[in-house]
Amino acid sequence: MLELKQVSKTYKNGVNALYDINLKIEQGEFVYIIGPTGSGKSTLIKLLDGEEIPTKGVVDVLGINVGKLRHSKVPKYRRNIGVVFQDFRLLERKTVFENIAFAMEVLNEPAKVIRKRVRQVMNLVGLDDKGAAFPAELSGGQQQRVAIARAIANKPKILIADEPTGNLDPGKSDEIMVLLEKINREEGTTILMVTHDTVLVNKHRKRTLVLEAGHLVADMTEGGYFSHE
Amino acid sequence: MSKFFRRIGRYFKEGFWGVVRHGAMALSSASAVTITLTIISIFLMFSFNLDQFTREIEGTVQVSATLEYECDGEDELRIRDAILKIEGVDKVTYKTREEEFDYFVEMYDADGKAGLREIYGDQHPMHAAYYINVTSNADLKMIASEVAKIEGIYETSYGGEGAVLLMDALDSVRYGGMILVAALSALAIFLISNTIKLTIYARNKEIAIMRAVGASNADIRFPYVIEGILIGLLGSLVPVGLTIFGYIYLYRFLGGVLLTQMWPLIAPHPFVLYLSAILVAAGVIVGLVGSFFSVSKYLRWKR
Ligand SMILES: Nc1ncnc2c1ncn2[C@@H]1O[C@H](COP(=O)(O)OP(=O)(O)O)[C@@H](O)[C@H]1O
Ligand SMILES: [Mg+2]
Repeated sequence: MLELKQVSKTYKNGVNALYDINLKIEQGEFVYIIGPTGSGKSTLIKLLDGEEIPTKGVVDVLGINVGKLRHSKVPKYRRNIGVVFQDFRLLERKTVFENIAFAMEVLNEPAKVIRKRVRQVMNLVGLDDKGAAFPAELSGGQQQRVAIARAIANKPKILIADEPTGNLDPGKSDEIMVLLEKINREEGTTILMVTHDTVLVNKHRKRTLVLEAGHLVADMTEGGYFSHE
Repeated sequence: MSKFFRRIGRYFKEGFWGVVRHGAMALSSASAVTITLTIISIFLMFSFNLDQFTREIEGTVQVSATLEYECDGEDELRIRDAILKIEGVDKVTYKTREEEFDYFVEMYDADGKAGLREIYGDQHPMHAAYYINVTSNADLKMIASEVAKIEGIYETSYGGEGAVLLMDALDSVRYGGMILVAALSALAIFLISNTIKLTIYARNKEIAIMRAVGASNADIRFPYVIEGILIGLLGSLVPVGLTIFGYIYLYRFLGGVLLTQMWPLIAPHPFVLYLSAILVAAGVIVGLVGSFFSVSKYLRWKR
């Protein structure tokens, strides 16, 4: 469902962020992307969600050549992909319910459909009773759950999480992992998770892609932390 | 179709709540609109009334040209044609010597009239004359001197030079006012677009989320445009109130004229409504344009 063929990315300022990446991910997979800061993890994500265009090669997602997508077609394409960030990016003035509903409202879904789905994802992320709370009233872990609920509200085929546990303590990080695994299982969402957290990667073993200085240096189907000297 | 209405409904709902949620920013944008529109309103009141005065005054200014005694009917026709060829001449009226004398005599009381007729009889010194009405903005002085060049013209003069000077003075006041209004409007529009930009900047997170979940540009933009329009409308409330009540009050206070009966003010009734419509439209346009372009920056795909 997702394939990169000889993909390179050079930014306008001349920085080579990715070199000749070849990669194939199937529907329903759960994949870690690890690597040191500046190794090109975020760039890889931006190529997938259409924010950046590959300098060379083809990024194919769900049969769509993402790099060749016309600007006007990007929004529609984006609906296939949910994104979660380290810093949650919730709207402080909206309640939990409103934050999640917002993602569906801007796509002009009917109110009834929105209410039903928001309750469903709130239940899925374990925040049934927090609908009326504001983000500031929640713990970091809970806020990330809201962000995840929002990201999956429109039922994207792929969920991309860029260091979703970066701001959380180990206990909370583990809970988020369990939640992502549940979403992967129950909603059938393909999940790509960028992380620095070696403990998580070793504990919840999954296919792991290792980036270093823009090169894909390892693709371990078995998972486990990879130390490259 | 229902999706279409849902979409429009959401634009209005979000736009409305945007104003409410960001009340302080909305108010500061709206007050920039208020200041601009108030200035525009004052300027329009002044300008429209000035136009009216100008028209009033222009109706009363004429160039008169007296003819030499020797002119016969043929000369009179030739002179008439020559006058009509001059640029700025609207209409020419002929008065015979007798008519001129009668007019002159009419200015005296009964005794005076009798006296004058007795003294002069048929031998009065009046000349036949052409009275020339000019088109608006015509240069009286220039027309008078052109007429004077025509053979058979004894003398020319033009009435209401004072009025003409005053008109010129008012025109320069209006011209200066126009520059002032243009400058202030530019400043205010800058302030407005800046405030709207701030409003939107404060919400780039919101926009980023909308983009992330795949909202189309129109879906992102229009709630802000509606918000801008609402801010513009909000900003026009006070100027519209000031215009309607202020002008009606001023009109009553001045007794419907400015200084003299020569300058009647425009009656308030439909006038204030026209002004209000102009102000509301200006507010809406400013809000629409400001928000439309302020949000564009965040909608451009930089890839
Ligand atoms: N928009 C950009 N313009 C120019 N260079 C960039 C841009 N984004 C990232 N880079 C550079 O590309 C390289 C990879 O960055 P990134 O993909 O963010 O790495 P990571 O997410 O693994 O830390 C870095 O050297 C970074 O400085
Ligand atoms: Mg990164």
